[in-house]
Amino acid sequence: MTRRLNVRVDHSCCVGNAMCLATAPGVFAHNDQRQSEVVDPEGQSEEKILEAAFNCPTGAIRVEIAEGGEQLFP
Amino acid sequence: MTTADLDELFAPEVVADPYSYFARLREIDPVYWNERFQLWVITGYEEVVWLLRHHELFSSAIMRNSASPPYPPVDPEDLPLFDEVREFRADQLVEQDRPEHLHQRSVVHQYFTPTAMESWRPFVRDAVAELLDELEPLGRMDVLTDLAAPLPVRVIAQMMDVPWEDRDHLRELADSILYMNRGEPYRLRPLTEGMRGIVEYAAPLVEERLDRPGDDFISILAQGEKAGIFTRHQVLVNTGLLLFAGHETTMNLICNGLLTFIEHPDQWDLLAADPGGMARLATEECLRYDPPVKSTQRIAAEDVRLGGKAIHKGDRIRWIMAAANRDPSVFPDPDRFDIGRQPNPHISFGSGIHYCLGVALARMEGQEVFRALAERFGRFDLATEEVEYQPSIQFRSLKSLPVSWDRRSR
Repeated sequence: MTRRLNVRVDHSCCVGNAMCLATAPGVFAHNDQRQSEVVDPEGQSEEKILEAAFNCPTGAIRVEIAEGGEQLFP
Repeated sequence: MTTADLDELFAPEVVADPYSYFARLREIDPVYWNERFQLWVITGYEEVVWLLRHHELFSSAIMRNSASPPYPPVDPEDLPLFDEVREFRADQLVEQDRPEHLHQRSVVHQYFTPTAMESWRPFVRDAVAELLDELEPLGRMDVLTDLAAPLPVRVIAQMMDVPWEDRDHLRELADSILYMNRGEPYRLRPLTEGMRGIVEYAAPLVEERLDRPGDDFISILAQGEKAGIFTRHQVLVNTGLLLFAGHETTMNLICNGLLTFIEHPDQWDLLAADPGGMARLATEECLRYDPPVKSTQRIAAEDVRLGGKAIHKGDRIRWIMAAANRDPSVFPDPDRFDIGRQPNPHISFGSGIHYCLGVALARMEGQEVFRALAERFGRFDLATEEVEYQPSIQFRSLKSLPVSWDRRSR
């Protein structure tokens, strides 16, 4: 069984580099400002979501386990 | 200032003080058509960010899409060399559009993530300490040649995993490639020598690492070739790009930052009171206030409206981060150098899909240098009457930065 994640993008530092959209399509999408937004935290595997967070050039993505709130990244 | 003066992008006064000139342009028209040089000049923060985040409307493939001759002009007999420069630059990652850009960036992106770069901090810290150990007893240095230029070459040589004794050769190649950004009429000769030099130097390394890859940057590019994403020429020119892009920009960050601190001793004292705690914010403010890169180009890929203006497909565009970083609609009191500034959403690394690949490394190098300087030294004095900048529209590059300090002050 896969655990549910809370995934958030900090818009004060997202620069729309869009690597997260390429790494985890379906989870992240661009808004009107061309900043990344989470559209479906279950759209990809946990591994892909963490890879997207790890690869964000500005460290804008935070990932935690929904139940209990344990932080997985950063 | 008349409209004709507003078109003088390359005037010596603009090179000396870009900020007054671009502030005027931004006030008059943040999306300005420069009749003399036949290009759009974008100076408003909002307009620049919008442009950068619409990569499908604004192409980065300048070399392939623009037939403009080199400017400032070069010696006519050297003009054939410009084709060689074009061919070299056209294959660099920064000149690609999607979809190729995404495929190529995906190969090298992981190498430069903030987490990956953090593991380089001890190396950078040691390299800074080693350079300063030698300089500290002297009481004076040229920041450019003694600190700001050698540091990035050491880091890049390590990233390429090349022998220690090759550093001097790499430094010579980097110095030649820096002519990319100069105004001298003869500049295409040293530039093309440097380009050929890096290709010649990197070719056997690529060959070797195709078969026996390590965790260095050339191996990563070589594996990209193996996967069919890069051609051999692209691997070689992107090795050159690492050398050039990681060199000039870091040099400028260190020199422009230290000069700004010399001009603002109250801010230096703030940093010196807590170097470890303030280095991060101070580096961001140096990047905003006097950025290493003043401006870059795009070419309109379609007809598009920006700031109420009709931009036509094929139009050349220069977007000015040095102006957007001082836009009062985003930065309160923008001409004030304030290392406590927060938030500080400067666009010195760009924005969108081409956001600087080396951002985490550049930040770390700046942080480590400013921190170490503030820990070791009292105030610096400028050891020259006036400073001079390279006549470039793109880079904010000092020609030298001689400083002195009181050896007894700490």
